[in-house]
Amino acid sequence: MAKSEVAFNRSLGGMVRAETQSGIPVKQVYTPTDVEHSEYGRDLADPGRYPYTRGIYPEMYRNRLWIKSFIVSYSTPEETNRAFKEYIAAGQTGLRLLADLPIQTGIDPDHPSSWNSMMCGGMSSYSLDSYEKALDGLPLENVDYELAHSSISSPLFFYSLLVALMEERGLNPANLRGSAINDPFRANIVYGCPDFPTEIARRVCLDLIEFGARHTPKWKAYAPNGVDPQQSGLDAVQEVSEVLGVATAVYEDIISERGLKLDDIGATVFSMDAESDFFETIAKFRATRRMWARIAKEKLGATTERAMSLRIGIRTSGLSLQTQKPLNNAARVTLQILSCVLGGVNSIDASSIDEAIGLPSREVRMFNLDTQHIITHEANVPLVADPLGGSYYLEWLTNRIEEGACKELEEIERRGGMWECLKSGWLRQRIDLSRIKVQQEIAEGKRLIVGVNAFQGEEGPISRAIERTSYKVPSKQARLKNIASVRRLRRTRDQQAVSGALRELYRAAGESRNVVRPVIEAAKARATIGEVVGVIRMAYGYDYDPLQQIATPAFIRELVKMS
Amino acid sequence: MSQRRRIRIVVGKVGCDIHERGALTLARALRDAGMEVIYTGRYQTPEAVAKTAVDEGVDVIALSDHTGSMRLIAVDVLEALKKHDGAGIHVVAGGLIPGKDLPALKKMGVTGNYGPGTPLDVIVRHISSLVDSG
Repeated sequence: MAKSEVAFNRSLGGMVRAETQSGIPVKQVYTPTDVEHSEYGRDLADPGRYPYTRGIYPEMYRNRLWIKSFIVSYSTPEETNRAFKEYIAAGQTGLRLLADLPIQTGIDPDHPSSWNSMMCGGMSSYSLDSYEKALDGLPLENVDYELAHSSISSPLFFYSLLVALMEERGLNPANLRGSAINDPFRANIVYGCPDFPTEIARRVCLDLIEFGARHTPKWKAYAPNGVDPQQSGLDAVQEVSEVLGVATAVYEDIISERGLKLDDIGATVFSMDAESDFFETIAKFRATRRMWARIAKEKLGATTERAMSLRIGIRTSGLSLQTQKPLNNAARVTLQILSCVLGGVNSIDASSIDEAIGLPSREVRMFNLDTQHIITHEANVPLVADPLGGSYYLEWLTNRIEEGACKELEEIERRGGMWECLKSGWLRQRIDLSRIKVQQEIAEGKRLIVGVNAFQGEEGPISRAIERTSYKVPSKQARLKNIASVRRLRRTRDQQAVSGALRELYRAAGESRNVVRPVIEAAKARATIGEVVGVIRMAYGYDYDPLQQIATPAFIRELVKMS
Repeated sequence: MSQRRRIRIVVGKVGCDIHERGALTLARALRDAGMEVIYTGRYQTPEAVAKTAVDEGVDVIALSDHTGSMRLIAVDVLEALKKHDGAGIHVVAGGLIPGKDLPALKKMGVTGNYGPGTPLDVIVRHISSLVDSG
């Protein structure tokens, strides 16, 4: 072959799969016979009508677009504050906060295990001072705040910081809006969070729902999370069963143990994943809304529209984004956002095209927002509610996901329910088995990922620039400075006030009273997250330090002894 | 590989990084390739990873981290290895490793430094050849 010739292969790039990403086999075409058992009034209904398959509002996005949200939490409160202001000016409407990894573990910056991941993945927000700085000049009332942490001590501490900050600024916490992922199942099976063993995590989760329902009715204190179980391995059908199973288990506990009705708790939001399979993702949201409406009504006794109509908050798949040829991630993220809008979700946190490299740079965040503006104003996608409703394929797939998720839920029931499946390790094993299956498919070329196991090609200057400009984790000096700042806080705060507030927290936890108010007061006294976590652990008879590396601070030993 | 004992390896995670999928996937691939794998789990200290490696008499430590802090982690693990007379143990790394840290890692003797999506057989071959070359 002469040097200038190219081998022509008409089938290069042809399809290799006959099933969805979750392994649902699909035909070449769908016709009315595939959906002949569906009944419009029973299974679909107009948007805003039970069972909300087509969306939870009659007018959908005409009145209210989805919340444009993403995590803004850089290493320091000052950087985070600057970034928030910039992104709000560009159209961000949901303020999503995330602490760094040690804080999510429940330890302070000066804990020895903090060093290697300090200020990574989020803000080192160890006390109310951090939130004061990060949210300086930002509104606290009637703005959607979202807390997206892994552990249960994090929503406890950060919700308390938000309420404390409002009270310190003379605002009414009843006007706090937003939601927190507060999912004791995910904390255990996905993250193995060491802060709270499951018995504590379960109680604190219920405390937050109860306190929220009574004092901050616009706040959704409990968002079961399907994103991270899916990112760890679950397929879409399993994700639906996971979030529905978790929601049902926790609400059954709150109803039986705290005397609340689902109607009192108000709206529920599920935090879900948007994966690369376009139609499967759209169908998943529709199936989940329908299933939740039925569970809420038939199993949990809900009677209000608010309690039966499920809000869906999305984080688009970080796992689907690649380090190889990162420019391609722009296509992935755009398709995922589009599937969310077509699926009628209520909030979108889109991963950034440099997600697989580091924290997002400013420009790729602006790209996230602009993509949503283009979908809205140029592509006109949100003009009509559930525009794909009635598609033979989509309706069949929605039914198919519902059937699959029902089977999974029946299996969980047979195995003794969600808490039992958590204890037995079955929920974790389900994640592992699915993960291994996907890995095998990638290795065998049954699942093609562009730039990774297919179409590798050369990276050009644009991809290299994306790698170069992503946000990099802080240096040693910044970490040392952060350690010095928490030590300064401990020296300068009113130590008597801290001890008093933590003593009350210790007593409340020990007497099985709701711990949220005592944590709010401890936060105001400038207790740190490590201290709050440690004191609650001790009230339950555990070591102060979740990682069992440091001794109990002397003043805490003292206050425990005096209690 | 049949002529000598199986390669023993610790897959380690240091600090509070919660991203575990890479470590689990790698551990399984190494096991499938006939190696004896000890996975430390998350939330470990550099000290604990090094001590496990020495106590278990492994040939290699594979560090996985997705926070961008591999350089700091490797420094601490190598120091702990020296302290426990494990300086002969090979250290390989993978995860999200900033490009600017690659020369420093190489200089410390940390090899591999693979990013996400690296074919697992590439990593397996690298580890085998490391051990073969002593």
